[in-house]
Formats: sequence, C-alpha cells, structure tokens
Amino acid sequence: MTQQTFKSAKRRYHRVFWPLMFVYTIIVVGGSIGLNQLDPEPRWLQATLAVACAVPVIATLLVMIRYAEETDEYNRMVQLRAFSWGGILTVSLIFLAGFLQLFHVIDRIEIFWFGPLFFVAYGISTFVMGGRRCP
Amino acid sequence: MKNIIRALRAERGWSQAALADHLGVSRQSVNAIETGKYDPSLPLAFAIARLFEKSIEEIFDDETEAQLAAE
Repeated sequence: MTQQTFKSAKRRYHRVFWPLMFVYTIIVVGGSIGLNQLDPEPRWLQATLAVACAVPVIATLLVMIRYAEETDEYNRMVQLRAFSWGGILTVSLIFLAGFLQLFHVIDRIEIFWFGPLFFVAYGISTFVMGGRRCP
Repeated sequence: MKNIIRALRAERGWSQAALADHLGVSRQSVNAIETGKYDPSLPLAFAIARLFEKSIEEIFDDETEAQLAAE
C-alpha cells in the first residue's frame, strides 16, 4: 500500500462521508421540527419514511468502518479507539439517562438524540486520539 | 518507544512521506512512530529494519528492558 492509496482511501471516505452527514443533519433537523408534525396517514408510509431516514446514518457508519479497514495500522488504531470511546460514552449516557428516567428524576428523552451524540463523541475522540500516545 | 528513525531518514535525505511510501504506510504513521507516540507492529518494525539494513534493536530502544535491568 502506498501514500497514494491512503490518499485515495481518504478522498473516497470524504467524498461519501460528508454528503451522507449533510443528508443526516437535514433529517435530524427536519425530523425534530417538521417530519413529526407531518404525520402521514398510511402506516406503511410512516414506516418507509422512518427507514429512509435511517439509511444515510447506517451508510455513514459503514463508510467509517471501511475507512478504518482501508487505512494503515496507526490510523486504524486511532479510528477504532475513537469509535470505541464514542460508543462507550454514548452507551454510558444511555444507561445514565435510562436510570434517571426509571427513578423519575428526569422526563422522557428521545432515543433519537443519542445518534448525533455518538457522532459528536466520535469526532472529539478522533481528534484527541490523533494527538495522544497509542499503547 | 524511542528510536533513531528520524536520524536514519535524514541520512538518506528522505521526507516522512518518502519513507512512508517505502514502507507502505501513511505519513501520519511515520510521524507518530518517530515522535514515539505509536509503537509499530512487529511486521512494520521488521520492514523498517530491512529498509535501513539494521536490526530492530539497533533502531528501537527498548525502555522496558532497560527498566527491568535497572531493577
């Protein structure tokens, strides 16, 4: 594998990642503001819309994993550690919010918001892991 | 892990990108190894040793072994 291969892998990643993230952001904003109020009548249409909204997110996650597989050992370690820390932070907050709800400390939180939280945590972790010593 | 890769690279007048190309890794990896932020895998350490025609021990300074010896 050469420098050129890494560059093309990175280019391929950015070419797919950012448009998907753009669509995802539109869906997150649109979903929280508009789609809920649309309430399309047939049940199958609601289901189709919901699945269609999830597709870009799933594709984004697959693209992230593909990049981790195509890059070299150091960058793979950075990516996978960031993925792990992002996941750990998100799951921890899901547990925390779950227990807070169970004990009636807080009101119901939409699970929907934990998705964006993961991407934020992953982004911060990638930045931090890139500058830290890898064991 | 400390190493002398930067010096060996300088001897040959190679940039980090050129060394990365020889090794088949990214420039970021070479930088991380040179600055001691990342310890390469065994196959990569062997590739580095082969490229510079030295043994792994000549390139990498095993601090753990030195600490154990001191104890």
